Amino acid sequence: MFDTVLIANRGEIALRILRACRTLGLRTVLVYSEADRHAPYLPLADQALCIGPAAPRQSYLKQSAILAAATVSGAQAIHPGYGFLSENAEFVTQVEQAGLRFIGPSAACIRLMGDKVSAKHAMRAAGVPCVPGPDTSLPDDPQQVLAIANDIGYPVIVKAAGGGGGRGMRVVHERAQLLSALSVTREEAARAFGNPEVYIEKFLLHPRHVEIQILADQHGHAVWLGSRDCSLQRRHQKVIEEAPAPHISPALLAQLSERCVQACLSIGYSGVGTFEFLYEEGAFYFIEMNTRLQVEHPVTELTTGIDIVEQQIRMARGEPLTIRQTDVQCHGHALECRINAEDPKSFLPSPGEITAWRLPGGWGVRVDTHAQKGYRVPPYYDAMVGKLIVHGVDREDALRRMRAALDEMQVGGISTNLPLHRELMVDAGFAEGGVDIHYLERWLKESAFA
Amino acid sequence: MDLHHMKMAIDTMAASDLSEMELSHEGWTLRLVRHAAAASVPASVKTLTSPRQQAAPTASVCEIQAPVFGIVHLQASPGQPPFVQVGEHVQVGQTVCTIEAMKVFNEVACEHAGRVVAVHVVTGTEVEAGQVLVVVEQGAHV
Repeated sequence: MFDTVLIANRGEIALRILRACRTLGLRTVLVYSEADRHAPYLPLADQALCIGPAAPRQSYLKQSAILAAATVSGAQAIHPGYGFLSENAEFVTQVEQAGLRFIGPSAACIRLMGDKVSAKHAMRAAGVPCVPGPDTSLPDDPQQVLAIANDIGYPVIVKAAGGGGGRGMRVVHERAQLLSALSVTREEAARAFGNPEVYIEKFLLHPRHVEIQILADQHGHAVWLGSRDCSLQRRHQKVIEEAPAPHISPALLAQLSERCVQACLSIGYSGVGTFEFLYEEGAFYFIEMNTRLQVEHPVTELTTGIDIVEQQIRMARGEPLTIRQTDVQCHGHALECRINAEDPKSFLPSPGEITAWRLPGGWGVRVDTHAQKGYRVPPYYDAMVGKLIVHGVDREDALRRMRAALDEMQVGGISTNLPLHRELMVDAGFAEGGVDIHYLERWLKESAFA
Repeated sequence: MDLHHMKMAIDTMAASDLSEMELSHEGWTLRLVRHAAAASVPASVKTLTSPRQQAAPTASVCEIQAPVFGIVHLQASPGQPPFVQVGEHVQVGQTVCTIEAMKVFNEVACEHAGRVVAVHVVTGTEVEAGQVLVVVEQGAHV
């Protein structure tokens, strides 16, 4: 069983994982790029190793450098965090071949869920509701393709099997556009994902994004930790998340979550995972599974009282889950705002030195961040500098606490999206709850804010 | 750091057998790299000491500054020709470089027409907001 964990990531999630390791009494090894050499969290690790230049391809995505860092530091396990190598089946194989433990599911599970066609096939077989449309890639014969689309009914969406996270898709409103959309998507998919396979599904017009958090150990035991709603998105990037998903019957969510747990058991999944669904008019449609820890995991931690990262590491060490489904309760409501270094109106990135930094606090307020006053936000990576998370006795209470926390928080030297979050927290539509995934972009177009 | 200091640094390097030198002073960083095949003066900063630059400035000079902190790119992608070169005549609105910040590429354009007299930055390096990237001599027709 491992006692030293190498954290193959950066920023707030590297710090989040480091804290979980320390709580468990594990040694930590951080790897960093030259651009992160002054990152304030590095001294907290037992060892920190520079693995290459700033460009992710030469550092955080460089498998050989990370494996070499594990060897020289004596780390026996690698936590990939989110992004970077977290859903790279090839990396998992490399890690295992080096005799190390990957803190996540098997390479086979990552591969199965990484291909959206095989994922849909597996989920349908496990009884998880999917978007109408075949769970096979499209045939070459144009007549057959047109017939499939007719059966589904327009509008349809053409998606790349190798895509995901909003990449490699195209909406088709009528029959006449289908074949050209198909060939363009195929070509893009071949170039972007190295896989020209595409499939089609019914395109839902006003869905919400609802997801289910799962924990699955290596002993055939799995539990679900409740739902999250991440419908507030801009360009497929989540901006605000909450738990539980508002205005959906708990019985319906429990039924869906039970299916997800069964699906995990049927594919031999272990670790933490998230099933993402579109939700429209009382029905759920599976879109993809994230086989890793997610940015928004804290809202579930606050409503369930379960440390998801700690559980993830324990399961990777081979410990059986001690949590039974009946132990999992959802208390109150939690909200998360992603704080990005960007202009709140133009969304242009705003890296640079943070000259003022005042964090909110108090009952039910949590800030996950690696930043501090004097920290220079590097221009090479994601714009997220922190997450502001609040917990209230109910949704209204959580909204009140978030408004107060956002007012208290101050960041100087760089622009952040704090003003956008402040506006959204007093928006009547968002306060009501249950907006669809297009709400934020519509709001940005129509509101006086933009 | 002014042109005089830069010239001193270049001369010092040229007289030595150093292949790379980095100088930091009052928030400025000057990095000189000698390319194997190049002359004794590194190509990337050669323009700084061009006689025209040192001559008494008669035409007005316009400095194009970085709008944001980021990574500067002098060409659209590796292997492609540079957006602008010293001596080249540029138009208003013409892209002189891009600044990459968090995966977004911001184009930096000329605000005045003229002739490029200096390119002060090296592709792939970090530039501060407000740092001078390119100098254009207005009204100087070739």
